[in-house]
Amino acid sequence: MLKRETVHTEDLHKVYYMGAEEVRALNGVTVTIYAGEYVSIMGPSGSGKSTFFNMIGGLDKPTSGEVYIDEVDISQLGIYELAWLRCRKIGYIFQTFNLIPVMTASENVSLPMIFAGLGADEARDKAADLLARVGLGDRLMHQPNELSGGQQQRVAIARAMANDPAIILADEPTGNLDLRTGREIIEILTELKEQRGVTIITATHDHKMLAASDRVIWVADGQIARIQARDELDIKVGTIGGEEET
Amino acid sequence: MGDEQQHEALTAATQQVVLPWRRSLEMCWLSLKNRRGRILLVFLGIAVVTAFLVDMLAYHRILADLRRTDDVHTRAVLERAGVLSNNPEASTRNRDQMAWLLGLSALLCLVGVTNTMFMSVNERFREIGTLKCLGALDSFIVRLFMIESLFIGMVGSSIGAVLGFLLALLQLGMALEFGVLQGGALLRALVLAVPSAVAAGTFLTVVAAIYPARVGARMKPVDAMRVEV
Repeated sequence: MLKRETVHTEDLHKVYYMGAEEVRALNGVTVTIYAGEYVSIMGPSGSGKSTFFNMIGGLDKPTSGEVYIDEVDISQLGIYELAWLRCRKIGYIFQTFNLIPVMTASENVSLPMIFAGLGADEARDKAADLLARVGLGDRLMHQPNELSGGQQQRVAIARAMANDPAIILADEPTGNLDLRTGREIIEILTELKEQRGVTIITATHDHKMLAASDRVIWVADGQIARIQARDELDIKVGTIGGEEET
Repeated sequence: MGDEQQHEALTAATQQVVLPWRRSLEMCWLSLKNRRGRILLVFLGIAVVTAFLVDMLAYHRILADLRRTDDVHTRAVLERAGVLSNNPEASTRNRDQMAWLLGLSALLCLVGVTNTMFMSVNERFREIGTLKCLGALDSFIVRLFMIESLFIGMVGSSIGAVLGFLLALLQLGMALEFGVLQGGALLRALVLAVPSAVAAGTFLTVVAAIYPARVGARMKPVDAMRVEV
């Protein structure tokens, strides 16, 4: 199978200033992620994992270096182009679900389609379809506070898929869920990857996520510590799994 | 595919992130419905100021109208109340004081509404961040908050205007005699005072919302990821 690059970062640097102190959050990160991959970004807090993740998603700009999504350097984009990118190319999933509280499941899923210029009827039909796909076909008219955490996250996945994005960015998608529900969410993401060829990029602490990943990118001290493919990972988890828990 | 070509495709698409007006109105309505308690406070502020303004305008307007009447009974009533002749000096002083009071209450109201709007914006950091992640432009956020304040302003000041007008009638009726408050004078005062006060109240609310709305619009999409409040 021919691998097509979907995300590529080139020598990313990010420097913050906290008062007089200079914080080097990223220190030369070069990574390529291919279309249809399931990639997990792992790393302790403070490692630069979140900064890296936000840059891939066009949520933060690098101090120097480039981020390419489908060959477009997104650090050069203006506000309209960035909005368009967020709307059409990237689907976001959050740890805290982030559904709009005053809207029903169906309205939440329709919203990105409305932004993308779809008619109200069309958007509603597609939202119903997407919600059915994540197993919530009977919850269309429920508001987020009437849904469990797992159900809310499934609505969020349907919303992320609304405009058929190339990439789904999931920030700790299982962080606020119990073990079983978290596993269900991972299963849905894996299914999307397999059926639709969506690239899935997650930032996570969750070791359950590892088994589903095609590759794991370990970030430490603002740099890529190592990148492991799934087969390497299986051996590692089998042998020194206990030690990894530190 | 070249970089150039992709870029062009993107640029051509720049205007394609949209939020139709109908949808904006629906979103505002939903959010207002869900924040009734908070909004009640703003309503109250706006209503009080508008009521004050209408009361003042209508009171003076009706009195001025009554003074011009030829009706013997009305003139007798005005005479008895001591307001038949217009003392220019006292009247100017009175008006100055009223203007000060009105200005002060408008300022207080402005501060109150701005503050409440700020709380509403800060409360919704996650919602705003999420909307931006879904592709919303800054202008969508500004628009949502402006529509919201326009609605609050119109409803609040309308309620206030009606109450203020009734208050003016009550004051005049007690000072003079309810019988002398007749159709023509009331209607003229109503037409003069109520629309201008509603306009002023609405304007005040919308002005108060501009700054908070802009602050909200400038929130970054990454705020949606914040876990702590």
